Amino acid sequence: MSNPAPLIQNDTLSHGTIECSDMAATRRFLTEFLGLDIHRPVKEAQYMYKGGPWTVVCVCVDGGEAKDQTPDNHFKLAVGSPGEVDSAHEAAVRLKDQYGIRKVEDVREVDGLRAFRLQDLNCTWWEIVNVNLDYYDAIFDRGDRAI
Amino acid sequence: MDVQTSKATHVNPTTLICGTMLSTNLQRARRMLEGALGLECVQPKKGVLLARDRGFQKDGSKRGQPYWVLEVREASEIAVPQEMLNHWGMAAPSEAAVDDAYDKLNSHKEEYGIARVQKPRFRNGSYACYFVDKDSNWWELEYRAPNLTYEVLRAKGDLHHD
Repeated sequence: MSNPAPLIQNDTLSHGTIECSDMAATRRFLTEFLGLDIHRPVKEAQYMYKGGPWTVVCVCVDGGEAKDQTPDNHFKLAVGSPGEVDSAHEAAVRLKDQYGIRKVEDVREVDGLRAFRLQDLNCTWWEIVNVNLDYYDAIFDRGDRAI
Repeated sequence: MDVQTSKATHVNPTTLICGTMLSTNLQRARRMLEGALGLECVQPKKGVLLARDRGFQKDGSKRGQPYWVLEVREASEIAVPQEMLNHWGMAAPSEAAVDDAYDKLNSHKEEYGIARVQKPRFRNGSYACYFVDKDSNWWELEYRAPNLTYEVLRAKGDLHHD
């Protein structure tokens, strides 16, 4: 089935953005703790990515505080197994102070996925979850279940 | 090249896979995501809407390639309104496409639940138009010159150090 042309012409979803107030500390957390790949192409921002073309742009708000987000606005990082979620949770609790992690929620299981969320030093929320694109492919393939 | 890649980290992610946001009206959000932005949407359960680029369906040309998922959850109110520095970005094929989008988004604001559209302008090497929807979610449509695409910048690694 063909789809009608959208209102605006665009190629792809390319990026999301977050704020930070300490570039170096943020980079340490993103690379050492979260395991993201990162580079800094411009003075005011560093770009991170993992496993795909999509980028999160981390903009430095000089002298300001990053917005305190709610857990409903977050980024998901996929890991390979439920055990890796548990290991990550244990590390988050243990290294909270070292990386400036503000909050660590309990591990939970929803829709067959094991996951937990944490709020980082910049008030950004991250979810560590054992999911992969096959999971999302299956959901899109099944189509609408609730309208 | 100086890209800091992760080694022996505490979390070992395979993929940065999804971003989440809120809407007070999933029907309205879906109308914008599908009709204005051309994304593929699905509602797997009550109160949840997922969106991705088109082309990844079973017989799609991009099936098997990585993609980004946007997860929209329905909420009775937006407790923390988003701002410009928290936005979702899309790549435009040309500067003309950005100009065209500015005109069209302005003409169809009510239909797609768009609150405000900013005039396109050059910023940090891209030509972009920002707009915000009625749930305070910010969006950017940007054209980047071939030497400044995310892929090219990634290959160059760190260009700035403190």
